[in-house]
Amino acid sequence: MKTIARVLLVLALGAAPAWAVLGEYESSVSLDTQFMRGEDRVTSAQGYKFHQITSPTGAVVTEYISPEGKVFGISWRAPVIPNLEKLLGSYITPVQQAAQAQTRRRGGPFIVRASDLVFVSGGHMRGFHGSAYVPSLLPRNVSAEVVR
Amino acid sequence: MTLRRHSVVPLSRLLAVVGGLIFLASCGGSSSTPITTTPPPSTTNNTVDLSVNLGPTNDYVNGLFASVEVCEPGSTTSCATVANVLVDTGSEGLRLLSGAVSGLTLPAVTDSSGNAVQECIGFISLAYIWGPVVQADIHLGGETAASASVHIISESPQYAVPSSCIPTGPVGTPEDYNSVSALGANGILGVANFPQDCGSGCADTSTAPAQYYSCPSGNCNITAVPTTATKGQVWNPVALFSTDNNGVLINLTSIASGGAATDAGSLIFGIGTQTNNALGSAQVYGVTDQGFFTTTYKGTEYTGSFIDSGSNAYYFLDSGTLGGLDCADNAGWYCPASPLSFTATNTGTNGTTGSVTFTIDNADSLFATSDAAFNDLGGDSGNSPSTDYFDFGVPFFFGRNVFVGIAGQTVTGVSNVPYGFWAY
Repeated sequence: MKTIARVLLVLALGAAPAWAVLGEYESSVSLDTQFMRGEDRVTSAQGYKFHQITSPTGAVVTEYISPEGKVFGISWRAPVIPNLEKLLGSYITPVQQAAQAQTRRRGGPFIVRASDLVFVSGGHMRGFHGSAYVPSLLPRNVSAEVVR
Repeated sequence: MTLRRHSVVPLSRLLAVVGGLIFLASCGGSSSTPITTTPPPSTTNNTVDLSVNLGPTNDYVNGLFASVEVCEPGSTTSCATVANVLVDTGSEGLRLLSGAVSGLTLPAVTDSSGNAVQECIGFISLAYIWGPVVQADIHLGGETAASASVHIISESPQYAVPSSCIPTGPVGTPEDYNSVSALGANGILGVANFPQDCGSGCADTSTAPAQYYSCPSGNCNITAVPTTATKGQVWNPVALFSTDNNGVLINLTSIASGGAATDAGSLIFGIGTQTNNALGSAQVYGVTDQGFFTTTYKGTEYTGSFIDSGSNAYYFLDSGTLGGLDCADNAGWYCPASPLSFTATNTGTNGTTGSVTFTIDNADSLFATSDAAFNDLGGDSGNSPSTDYFDFGVPFFFGRNVFVGIAGQTVTGVSNVPYGFWAY
Protein backbone atom coordinates (compact mmCIF):
# COMPACT_ATOMS: atom_id res chain seq x y z
CA MET A 1 0.00 0.00 0.00
CA LYS A 2 2.79 2.34 0.94
CA THR A 3 4.59 1.62 -2.32
CA ILE A 4 1.47 2.30 -4.32
CA ALA A 5 1.01 5.61 -2.55
CA ARG A 6 4.59 6.58 -3.40
CA VAL A 7 4.17 5.61 -7.04
CA LEU A 8 1.01 7.68 -7.24
CA LEU A 9 2.76 10.65 -5.72
CA VAL A 10 5.59 10.45 -8.24
CA LEU A 11 3.09 10.19 -11.08
CA ALA A 12 1.21 13.17 -9.76
CA LEU A 13 4.38 15.24 -9.53
CA GLY A 14 5.56 14.12 -12.94
CA ALA A 15 2.19 14.92 -14.41
CA ALA A 16 1.89 18.36 -12.86
CA PRO A 17 -0.70 20.21 -14.90
CA ALA A 18 0.56 21.58 -18.16
CA TRP A 19 0.82 25.27 -17.64
CA ALA A 20 2.06 27.99 -19.87
CA VAL A 21 3.80 31.29 -19.36
CA LEU A 22 2.28 34.71 -20.03
CA GLY A 23 2.83 35.69 -23.66
CA GLU A 24 3.89 32.19 -24.70
CA TYR A 25 2.03 29.37 -26.41
CA GLU A 26 0.10 26.87 -24.34
CA SER A 27 2.98 24.57 -23.43
CA SER A 28 4.16 22.70 -20.40
CA VAL A 29 5.50 24.61 -17.43
CA SER A 30 4.81 23.40 -13.91
CA LEU A 31 3.71 25.69 -11.14
CA ASP A 32 5.13 25.91 -7.65
CA THR A 33 4.31 23.25 -5.10
CA GLN A 34 1.07 24.71 -3.83
CA PHE A 35 -0.46 23.76 -7.16
CA MET A 36 0.92 20.21 -7.28
CA ARG A 37 -1.92 17.71 -7.43
CA GLY A 38 -4.22 20.48 -8.47
CA GLU A 39 -7.30 20.04 -10.59
CA ASP A 40 -7.28 21.59 -14.06
CA ARG A 41 -10.55 22.66 -15.65
CA VAL A 42 -10.83 24.17 -19.11
CA THR A 43 -13.74 26.47 -19.98
CA SER A 44 -14.59 27.96 -23.37
CA ALA A 45 -15.83 31.52 -23.54
CA GLN A 46 -16.71 33.97 -26.31
CA GLY A 47 -13.45 34.57 -28.18
CA TYR A 48 -11.07 32.85 -25.73
CA LYS A 49 -10.78 29.97 -23.29
CA PHE A 50 -9.37 29.63 -19.81
CA HIS A 51 -7.69 26.98 -17.72
CA GLN A 52 -8.46 27.09 -14.04
CA ILE A 53 -6.28 25.05 -11.72
CA THR A 54 -7.37 24.58 -8.12
CA SER A 55 -4.98 23.20 -5.50
CA PRO A 56 -6.16 20.87 -2.72
CA THR A 57 -5.95 23.81 -0.29
CA GLY A 58 -8.06 26.15 -2.39
CA ALA A 59 -5.43 28.15 -4.26
CA VAL A 60 -6.63 29.03 -7.75
CA VAL A 61 -4.67 30.15 -10.81
CA THR A 62 -6.51 30.96 -14.03
CA GLU A 63 -4.82 31.23 -17.40
CA TYR A 64 -6.50 32.94 -20.34
CA ILE A 65 -5.76 31.60 -23.85
CA SER A 66 -6.39 33.38 -27.13
CA PRO A 67 -7.74 31.57 -30.23
CA GLU A 68 -4.12 31.56 -31.51
CA GLY A 69 -3.15 29.53 -28.42
CA LYS A 70 -1.24 32.28 -26.64
CA VAL A 71 -1.58 33.13 -22.97
CA PHE A 72 -2.85 36.71 -22.84
CA GLY A 73 -3.63 36.87 -19.13
CA ILE A 74 -3.28 35.14 -15.78
CA SER A 75 -4.88 35.61 -12.38
CA TRP A 76 -4.53 34.05 -8.95
CA ARG A 77 -6.31 33.74 -5.62
CA ALA A 78 -4.14 31.88 -3.16
CA PRO A 79 -3.04 31.70 0.49
CA VAL A 80 0.56 32.38 -0.63
CA ILE A 81 1.62 34.47 -3.65
CA PRO A 82 2.43 32.00 -6.44
CA ASN A 83 5.86 32.03 -8.02
CA LEU A 84 5.37 34.89 -10.44
CA GLU A 85 8.57 34.24 -12.32
CA LYS A 86 7.05 30.96 -13.51
CA LEU A 87 3.76 32.58 -14.38
CA LEU A 88 5.04 35.77 -16.00
CA GLY A 89 8.12 34.51 -17.86
CA SER A 90 9.88 37.42 -19.55
CA TYR A 91 7.20 39.81 -18.29
CA ILE A 92 8.70 39.50 -14.82
CA THR A 93 11.34 42.13 -15.71
CA PRO A 94 9.12 45.25 -15.60
CA VAL A 95 7.51 43.87 -12.44
CA GLN A 96 10.90 43.47 -10.77
CA GLN A 97 11.91 46.95 -11.82
CA ALA A 98 8.72 48.46 -10.44
CA ALA A 99 9.10 46.51 -7.20
CA GLN A 100 12.30 48.42 -6.53
CA ALA A 101 10.70 51.80 -7.04
CA GLN A 102 7.76 51.81 -4.62
CA THR A 103 7.31 54.85 -2.44
CA ARG A 104 4.98 55.76 0.40
CA ARG A 105 2.33 53.23 -0.59
CA ARG A 106 2.46 50.76 2.29
CA GLY A 107 0.45 47.56 2.48
CA GLY A 108 -1.71 48.59 -0.44
CA PRO A 109 -1.92 46.83 -3.79
CA PHE A 110 1.12 46.79 -6.03
CA ILE A 111 0.41 47.89 -9.59
CA VAL A 112 2.56 47.94 -12.70
CA ARG A 113 1.53 49.60 -15.94
CA ALA A 114 4.38 48.93 -18.35
CA SER A 115 4.38 49.44 -22.11
CA ASP A 116 2.79 46.05 -22.79
CA LEU A 117 1.89 44.69 -19.37
CA VAL A 118 -0.73 45.53 -16.77
CA PHE A 119 -0.07 43.83 -13.45
CA VAL A 120 -1.70 44.03 -10.02
CA SER A 121 -0.94 42.18 -6.79
CA GLY A 122 -3.30 42.62 -3.86
CA GLY A 123 -5.08 41.08 -0.89
CA HIS A 124 -3.58 40.13 2.45
CA MET A 125 -2.05 37.20 4.33
CA ARG A 126 -3.95 33.95 3.62
CA GLY A 127 -5.80 35.68 0.81
CA PHE A 128 -3.57 36.99 -1.97
CA HIS A 129 -5.02 37.85 -5.32
CA GLY A 130 -3.80 39.44 -8.48
CA SER A 131 -3.71 39.42 -12.25
CA ALA A 132 -1.59 40.28 -15.25
CA TYR A 133 -2.38 40.71 -18.90
CA VAL A 134 -0.65 41.72 -22.13
CA PRO A 135 -2.78 44.37 -23.92
CA SER A 136 -1.33 43.58 -27.36
CA LEU A 137 -2.31 39.92 -27.02
CA LEU A 138 -5.95 40.53 -26.08
CA PRO A 139 -8.09 38.65 -28.61
CA ARG A 140 -10.34 40.70 -30.85
CA ASN A 141 -13.52 41.78 -29.07
CA VAL A 142 -12.33 40.47 -25.69
CA SER A 143 -12.12 42.97 -22.84
CA ALA A 144 -9.23 43.03 -20.38
CA GLU A 145 -11.94 42.75 -17.75
CA VAL A 146 -12.20 38.99 -18.34
CA VAL A 147 -8.81 38.57 -16.62
CA ARG A 148 -9.86 38.53 -12.97
CA MET B 1 13.61 48.42 21.38
CA THR B 2 15.08 48.64 24.85
CA LEU B 3 16.07 45.60 26.83
CA ARG B 4 14.23 45.73 30.09
CA ARG B 5 14.80 43.57 33.11
CA HIS B 6 12.22 43.57 35.85
CA SER B 7 11.71 41.38 38.87
CA VAL B 8 8.29 42.55 40.03
CA VAL B 9 5.22 40.73 38.73
CA PRO B 10 3.02 43.41 37.15
CA LEU B 11 -0.21 44.22 38.97
CA SER B 12 -2.17 43.25 35.88
CA ARG B 13 -0.82 39.73 36.02
CA LEU B 14 -1.70 39.44 39.72
CA LEU B 15 -5.19 40.62 38.86
CA ALA B 16 -5.38 37.95 36.18
CA VAL B 17 -4.61 35.29 38.76
CA VAL B 18 -7.17 36.70 41.19
CA GLY B 19 -9.74 36.81 38.40
CA GLY B 20 -9.06 33.17 37.68
CA LEU B 21 -9.61 32.24 41.32
CA ILE B 22 -12.93 34.05 41.41
CA PHE B 23 -13.96 32.19 38.28
CA LEU B 24 -13.06 28.82 39.80
CA ALA B 25 -14.92 29.64 43.03
CA SER B 26 -18.02 30.61 41.09
CA CYS B 27 -18.02 27.25 39.35
CA GLY B 28 -18.62 25.48 42.66
CA GLY B 29 -22.16 26.81 43.07
CA SER B 30 -25.24 24.70 43.71
CA SER B 31 -26.63 22.51 40.94
CA SER B 32 -29.81 24.58 40.76
CA THR B 33 -27.90 27.56 39.37
CA PRO B 34 -29.04 28.06 35.77
CA ILE B 35 -26.36 27.54 33.14
CA THR B 36 -25.40 30.74 31.43
CA THR B 37 -23.39 31.07 28.22
CA THR B 38 -22.06 34.50 29.14
CA PRO B 39 -18.47 34.15 30.29
CA PRO B 40 -17.47 35.85 33.51
CA PRO B 41 -15.91 39.22 32.75
CA SER B 42 -12.15 39.26 32.56
CA THR B 43 -10.31 41.69 34.80
CA THR B 44 -7.01 41.50 32.97
CA ASN B 45 -5.58 44.75 31.63
CA ASN B 46 -6.59 44.28 28.01
CA THR B 47 -5.37 47.56 26.52
CA VAL B 48 -2.24 48.59 24.64
CA ASP B 49 -1.59 52.17 23.51
CA LEU B 50 -1.53 52.86 19.79
CA SER B 51 0.17 55.69 17.98
CA VAL B 52 -0.01 56.90 14.40
CA ASN B 53 3.32 58.52 13.61
CA LEU B 54 6.09 58.55 11.04
CA GLY B 55 7.71 55.47 12.56
CA PRO B 56 11.39 54.68 13.11
CA THR B 57 12.34 55.74 9.58
CA ASN B 58 10.51 59.06 9.97
CA ASP B 59 8.71 58.69 6.63
CA TYR B 60 5.83 56.26 7.25
CA VAL B 61 2.49 57.85 6.44
CA ASN B 62 -0.47 56.46 8.41
CA GLY B 63 1.67 53.90 10.22
CA LEU B 64 -0.13 52.40 13.21
CA PHE B 65 2.36 51.41 15.89
CA ALA B 66 2.45 49.77 19.33
CA SER B 67 5.06 48.48 21.76
CA VAL B 68 5.31 44.76 22.40
CA GLU B 69 7.14 43.01 25.21
CA VAL B 70 8.63 39.59 24.55
CA CYS B 71 10.37 37.39 27.12
CA GLU B 72 12.30 34.16 27.05
CA PRO B 73 9.66 31.46 27.69
CA GLY B 74 8.75 31.31 31.37
CA SER B 75 10.96 34.25 32.30
CA THR B 76 9.80 37.55 33.79
CA THR B 77 13.27 39.07 33.72
CA SER B 78 14.85 38.23 30.37
CA CYS B 79 12.59 40.44 28.33
CA ALA B 80 12.74 43.07 25.62
CA THR B 81 10.25 45.83 24.92
CA VAL B 82 10.10 46.51 21.20
CA ALA B 83 8.65 49.88 20.20
CA ASN B 84 7.30 50.84 16.79
CA VAL B 85 5.78 47.48 15.91
CA LEU B 86 3.24 47.88 13.10
CA VAL B 87 -0.26 46.79 14.16
CA ASP B 88 -1.68 44.88 11.20
CA THR B 89 -5.25 43.64 10.83
CA GLY B 90 -4.18 42.15 7.48
CA SER B 91 -1.92 39.42 8.83
CA GLU B 92 -1.53 36.95 11.67
CA GLY B 93 1.35 36.64 14.11
CA LEU B 94 4.20 38.57 15.68
CA ARG B 95 7.30 39.20 13.53
CA LEU B 96 10.25 41.10 14.96
CA LEU B 97 13.50 42.27 13.46
CA SER B 98 16.38 40.26 14.86
CA GLY B 99 18.11 43.36 16.20
CA ALA B 100 15.12 44.14 18.43
CA VAL B 101 15.53 40.89 20.40
CA SER B 102 19.26 40.29 20.02
CA GLY B 103 19.72 40.26 23.81
CA LEU B 104 17.38 37.31 24.31
CA THR B 105 17.93 33.59 23.91
CA LEU B 106 14.77 32.30 22.26
CA PRO B 107 14.47 28.55 21.59
CA ALA B 108 13.96 27.42 17.99
CA VAL B 109 10.72 25.83 16.82
CA THR B 110 11.66 22.60 15.07
CA ASP B 111 9.93 20.42 12.51
CA SER B 112 9.24 16.67 12.83
CA SER B 113 12.84 15.92 11.77
CA GLY B 114 14.20 18.16 14.52
CA ASN B 115 15.40 20.88 12.16
CA ALA B 116 14.89 24.54 13.05
CA VAL B 117 11.92 26.02 11.20
CA GLN B 118 12.47 29.11 9.04
CA GLU B 119 9.71 31.21 7.54
CA CYS B 120 9.41 33.31 4.41
CA ILE B 121 6.52 35.73 3.94
CA GLY B 122 5.89 37.36 0.59
CA PHE B 123 4.18 40.74 0.61
CA ILE B 124 1.76 41.94 -2.05
CA SER B 125 4.44 44.52 -2.91
CA LEU B 126 6.45 41.41 -3.85
CA ALA B 127 8.91 42.12 -1.05
CA TYR B 128 9.64 39.35 1.45
CA ILE B 129 10.83 38.78 5.00
CA TRP B 130 12.83 35.73 6.06
CA GLY B 131 14.18 34.18 9.24
CA PRO B 132 13.72 31.56 11.98
CA VAL B 133 10.60 30.77 13.98
CA VAL B 134 11.30 30.84 17.73
CA GLN B 135 9.37 30.57 20.96
CA ALA B 136 8.73 33.54 23.23
CA ASP B 137 6.23 34.77 25.80
CA ILE B 138 4.43 37.75 24.30
CA HIS B 139 3.08 40.36 26.74
CA LEU B 140 0.51 42.87 25.51
CA GLY B 141 -0.94 44.94 28.35
CA GLY B 142 -1.76 42.33 30.98
CA GLU B 143 -2.35 39.59 28.42
CA THR B 144 0.17 36.83 27.74
CA ALA B 145 0.66 34.49 24.80
CA ALA B 146 2.93 31.92 26.45
CA SER B 147 5.57 30.09 24.42
CA ALA B 148 4.14 31.53 21.24
CA SER B 149 5.78 30.95 17.87
CA VAL B 150 7.35 34.25 16.78
CA HIS B 151 8.89 34.96 13.39
CA ILE B 152 12.30 36.61 13.57
CA ILE B 153 13.06 38.81 10.56
CA SER B 154 16.78 38.21 10.17
CA GLU B 155 18.92 41.24 9.55
CA SER B 156 21.82 38.87 8.85
CA PRO B 157 20.20 35.55 7.89
CA GLN B 158 21.88 32.29 8.82
CA TYR B 159 20.63 30.75 5.56
CA ALA B 160 20.20 32.29 2.12
CA VAL B 161 16.59 33.00 1.32
CA PRO B 162 15.19 30.21 -0.89
CA SER B 163 14.35 31.46 -4.36
CA SER B 164 11.03 29.57 -4.29
CA CYS B 165 9.58 31.96 -1.73
CA ILE B 166 10.53 35.19 -3.46
CA PRO B 167 7.43 36.17 -5.43
CA THR B 168 9.49 37.62 -8.27
CA GLY B 169 11.82 34.63 -8.43
CA PRO B 170 15.57 34.41 -8.05
CA VAL B 171 16.53 36.61 -10.98
CA GLY B 172 17.09 40.31 -10.56
CA THR B 173 17.27 41.92 -7.17
CA PRO B 174 14.13 41.14 -5.23
CA GLU B 175 13.01 43.52 -2.56
CA ASP B 176 14.23 42.53 0.86
CA TYR B 177 12.33 43.88 3.88
CA ASN B 178 14.73 42.41 6.44
CA SER B 179 15.75 45.79 7.86
CA VAL B 180 14.22 48.72 9.74
CA SER B 181 14.85 51.01 6.80
CA ALA B 182 12.93 48.80 4.35
CA LEU B 183 10.20 47.60 6.69
CA GLY B 184 9.64 51.05 8.23
CA ALA B 185 8.97 49.34 11.57
CA ASN B 186 10.70 47.12 14.12
CA GLY B 187 8.22 44.36 13.47
CA ILE B 188 4.63 43.47 12.64
CA LEU B 189 1.90 42.49 15.11
CA GLY B 190 -0.68 40.61 13.05
CA VAL B 191 -4.12 40.50 14.65
CA ALA B 192 -6.32 39.57 11.68
CA ASN B 193 -9.20 37.09 11.36
CA PHE B 194 -7.41 33.76 11.68
CA PRO B 195 -5.64 31.94 14.53
CA GLN B 196 -2.60 30.93 12.46
CA ASP B 197 -0.67 32.58 9.65
CA CYS B 198 -1.16 29.64 7.30
CA GLY B 199 -3.49 26.89 8.53
CA SER B 200 -3.89 23.26 7.52
CA GLY B 201 -2.23 23.74 4.11
CA CYS B 202 1.17 24.25 5.77
CA ALA B 203 0.74 21.26 8.08
CA ASP B 204 0.98 18.68 5.29
CA THR B 205 4.07 18.25 3.11
CA SER B 206 1.96 17.34 0.09
CA THR B 207 0.20 20.71 0.10
CA ALA B 208 2.60 23.06 1.89
CA PRO B 209 3.20 26.27 -0.08
CA ALA B 210 6.47 28.22 -0.09
CA GLN B 211 6.17 29.56 3.48
CA TYR B 212 7.79 27.29 6.10
CA TYR B 213 11.23 25.84 5.47
CA SER B 214 13.92 23.87 7.22
CA CYS B 215 17.55 23.86 6.23
CA PRO B 216 19.36 20.61 7.08
CA SER B 217 22.97 20.85 5.89
CA GLY B 218 22.32 24.43 4.79
CA ASN B 219 19.84 23.62 2.03
CA CYS B 220 16.41 25.10 2.67
CA ASN B 221 13.37 23.09 1.64
CA ILE B 222 9.66 23.51 2.31
CA THR B 223 8.66 21.71 5.50
CA ALA B 224 5.36 20.88 7.20
CA VAL B 225 4.55 22.75 10.42
CA PRO B 226 1.51 21.84 12.53
CA THR B 227 -1.28 24.27 13.45
CA THR B 228 -0.76 23.60 17.17
CA ALA B 229 -0.81 26.49 19.65
CA THR B 230 2.81 25.92 20.65
CA LYS B 231 5.80 24.59 18.70
CA GLY B 232 3.84 25.06 15.47
CA GLN B 233 2.89 27.78 13.02
CA VAL B 234 3.07 31.45 13.93
CA TRP B 235 -0.19 32.37 15.66
CA ASN B 236 -2.16 35.53 16.02
CA PRO B 237 -1.09 36.06 19.66
CA VAL B 238 -4.58 37.17 20.68
CA ALA B 239 -5.92 33.67 20.00
CA LEU B 240 -3.34 32.34 22.48
CA PHE B 241 -4.39 34.54 25.41
CA SER B 242 -6.17 32.78 28.26
CA THR B 243 -8.82 35.54 28.34
CA ASP B 244 -10.02 38.22 25.93
CA ASN B 245 -8.96 35.92 23.09
CA ASN B 246 -11.84 36.16 20.59
CA GLY B 247 -10.65 39.25 18.74
CA VAL B 248 -9.61 42.86 19.11
CA LEU B 249 -11.04 46.35 19.08
CA ILE B 250 -9.05 49.18 17.51
CA ASN B 251 -10.10 52.64 18.55
CA LEU B 252 -8.34 55.69 17.09
CA THR B 253 -9.17 59.28 17.99
CA SER B 254 -10.82 61.15 15.12
CA ILE B 255 -8.71 63.70 13.27
CA ALA B 256 -9.53 66.70 11.11
CA SER B 257 -9.40 66.48 7.33
CA GLY B 258 -6.15 67.66 5.78
CA GLY B 259 -3.95 65.79 8.24
CA ALA B 260 -2.78 65.65 11.83
CA ALA B 261 0.80 65.55 13.06
CA THR B 262 0.11 62.30 14.93
CA ASP B 263 -2.83 60.41 16.40
CA ALA B 264 -3.38 58.08 19.34
CA GLY B 265 -5.71 55.29 20.30
CA SER B 266 -6.04 51.87 21.85
CA LEU B 267 -5.72 48.24 20.87
CA ILE B 268 -8.19 46.46 23.16
CA PHE B 269 -8.24 42.67 23.41
CA GLY B 270 -11.43 40.64 23.47
CA ILE B 271 -14.90 41.38 22.15
CA GLY B 272 -17.73 41.55 24.66
CA THR B 273 -15.47 40.20 27.41
CA GLN B 274 -15.04 43.38 29.45
CA THR B 275 -16.81 46.68 29.89
CA ASN B 276 -14.40 48.37 27.45
CA ASN B 277 -14.94 46.08 24.45
CA ALA B 278 -18.69 45.65 24.03
CA LEU B 279 -19.90 45.52 20.43
CA GLY B 280 -22.55 48.10 21.25
CA SER B 281 -24.13 49.42 18.08
CA ALA B 282 -21.41 48.00 15.80
CA GLN B 283 -22.68 45.91 12.87
CA VAL B 284 -21.06 42.50 12.30
CA TYR B 285 -19.81 41.64 8.77
CA GLY B 286 -18.76 38.00 8.29
CA VAL B 287 -15.79 37.23 6.02
CA THR B 288 -14.96 34.42 3.59
CA ASP B 289 -12.41 31.66 4.21
CA GLN B 290 -9.80 34.08 2.81
CA GLY B 291 -10.93 36.99 4.97
CA PHE B 292 -12.97 39.03 2.47
CA PHE B 293 -16.38 40.71 2.29
CA THR B 294 -18.12 42.39 -0.65
CA THR B 295 -18.15 46.11 -1.37
CA THR B 296 -20.67 47.47 -3.86
CA TYR B 297 -19.94 50.75 -5.60
CA LYS B 298 -22.21 52.19 -8.31
CA GLY B 299 -23.79 48.80 -8.91
CA THR B 300 -20.55 46.81 -9.25
CA GLU B 301 -19.64 44.21 -6.64
CA TYR B 302 -16.02 44.02 -5.45
CA THR B 303 -15.88 40.62 -3.76
CA GLY B 304 -12.34 40.69 -2.34
CA SER B 305 -12.72 43.68 -0.01
CA PHE B 306 -11.20 43.99 3.43
CA ILE B 307 -10.25 46.36 6.25
CA ASP B 308 -6.52 46.58 6.87
CA SER B 309 -4.64 48.66 9.43
CA GLY B 310 -1.48 47.55 7.60
CA SER B 311 -2.58 49.49 4.51
CA ASN B 312 -1.88 53.18 4.87
CA ALA B 313 -4.73 54.53 2.70
CA TYR B 314 -8.06 53.78 1.09
CA TYR B 315 -7.03 51.74 -1.95
CA PHE B 316 -9.91 51.38 -4.40
CA LEU B 317 -10.83 51.59 -8.08
CA ASP B 318 -8.42 53.44 -10.35
CA SER B 319 -7.87 56.87 -11.80
CA GLY B 320 -9.37 55.93 -15.17
CA THR B 321 -12.63 54.73 -13.63
CA LEU B 322 -12.82 57.85 -11.47
CA GLY B 323 -12.28 60.24 -14.35
CA GLY B 324 -8.61 61.10 -13.93
CA LEU B 325 -7.42 61.65 -10.38
CA ASP B 326 -3.72 61.07 -10.99
CA CYS B 327 -1.29 63.16 -8.98
CA ALA B 328 1.31 65.38 -10.59
CA ASP B 329 4.02 64.33 -8.15
CA ASN B 330 3.04 61.10 -6.40
CA ALA B 331 2.29 58.18 -8.69
CA GLY B 332 -0.36 55.74 -7.51
CA TRP B 333 -2.17 58.29 -5.34
CA TYR B 334 -5.35 60.28 -5.89
CA CYS B 335 -5.23 64.05 -6.29
CA PRO B 336 -8.70 65.53 -6.74
CA ALA B 337 -8.82 69.31 -7.21
CA SER B 338 -11.07 69.51 -4.15
CA PRO B 339 -12.06 66.85 -1.60
CA LEU B 340 -14.25 64.13 -3.13
CA SER B 341 -16.81 62.10 -1.20
CA PHE B 342 -17.48 58.43 -1.93
CA THR B 343 -20.24 56.16 -0.67
CA ALA B 344 -20.02 52.39 -0.98
CA THR B 345 -21.99 49.52 0.55
CA ASN B 346 -20.38 46.66 2.43
CA THR B 347 -22.03 43.24 2.67
CA GLY B 348 -20.82 40.48 4.98
CA THR B 349 -21.11 36.75 4.37
CA ASN B 350 -23.77 36.76 7.10
CA GLY B 351 -25.94 39.13 5.08
CA THR B 352 -25.25 42.31 7.05
CA THR B 353 -25.30 45.36 4.78
CA GLY B 354 -24.31 48.94 5.52
CA SER B 355 -23.02 51.99 3.69
CA VAL B 356 -19.63 53.61 4.20
CA THR B 357 -18.87 57.20 3.27
CA PHE B 358 -15.35 58.56 3.05
CA THR B 359 -13.53 61.52 1.58
CA ILE B 360 -10.40 61.65 -0.57
CA ASP B 361 -8.23 64.75 -0.67
CA ASN B 362 -5.23 65.72 -2.78
CA ALA B 363 -2.28 63.47 -1.88
CA ASP B 364 0.30 65.89 -3.29
CA SER B 365 -1.01 68.56 -0.90
CA LEU B 366 -1.27 66.15 2.03
CA PHE B 367 2.29 64.93 1.55
CA ALA B 368 3.53 68.53 1.43
CA THR B 369 2.71 68.76 5.14
CA SER B 370 4.95 66.95 7.62
CA ASP B 371 1.90 65.21 9.11
CA ALA B 372 1.77 61.48 9.77
CA ALA B 373 -2.01 60.93 10.03
CA PHE B 374 -4.49 61.45 7.19
CA ASN B 375 -8.14 60.39 7.15
CA ASP B 376 -8.58 61.36 3.49
CA LEU B 377 -5.68 59.66 1.72
CA GLY B 378 -6.46 57.39 -1.22
CA GLY B 379 -4.79 55.51 -4.03
CA ASP B 380 -5.68 53.12 -6.82
CA SER B 381 -6.14 49.40 -6.39
CA GLY B 382 -5.36 48.10 -9.80
CA ASN B 383 -5.86 47.78 -13.47
CA SER B 384 -8.90 49.34 -14.97
CA PRO B 385 -11.46 47.95 -15.16
CA SER B 386 -10.86 44.65 -13.41
CA THR B 387 -10.06 45.70 -9.85
CA ASP B 388 -11.95 43.44 -7.55
CA TYR B 389 -11.70 45.02 -4.12
CA PHE B 390 -11.78 48.00 -1.82
CA ASP B 391 -9.00 48.05 0.77
CA PHE B 392 -10.16 50.09 3.76
CA GLY B 393 -6.84 51.08 5.29
CA VAL B 394 -5.82 53.19 8.29
CA PRO B 395 -7.96 56.24 7.31
CA PHE B 396 -11.04 54.08 7.90
CA PHE B 397 -10.04 53.60 11.56
CA PHE B 398 -9.91 57.25 12.65
CA GLY B 399 -12.84 58.08 14.90
CA ARG B 400 -14.30 54.57 14.70
CA ASN B 401 -14.53 51.48 16.85
CA VAL B 402 -13.37 48.67 14.56
CA PHE B 403 -13.60 45.08 15.81
CA VAL B 404 -11.77 42.09 14.30
CA GLY B 405 -13.39 38.75 15.21
CA ILE B 406 -11.15 35.66 15.08
CA ALA B 407 -12.37 32.58 13.18
CA GLY B 408 -13.61 29.77 15.38
CA GLN B 409 -13.86 31.87 18.55
CA THR B 410 -17.11 32.65 20.34
CA VAL B 411 -18.44 36.17 20.68
CA THR B 412 -21.63 36.58 22.70
CA GLY B 413 -24.52 37.47 20.42
CA VAL B 414 -22.64 36.76 17.17
CA SER B 415 -23.32 33.69 15.02
CA ASN B 416 -23.01 32.44 11.45
CA VAL B 417 -19.49 33.81 10.93
CA PRO B 418 -17.31 30.66 10.66
CA TYR B 419 -14.27 32.56 9.32
CA GLY B 420 -14.48 35.49 11.69
CA PHE B 421 -15.79 38.98 11.09
CA TRP B 422 -15.37 42.73 11.06
CA ALA B 423 -17.64 44.94 13.12
CA TYR B 424 -17.88 48.71 13.12
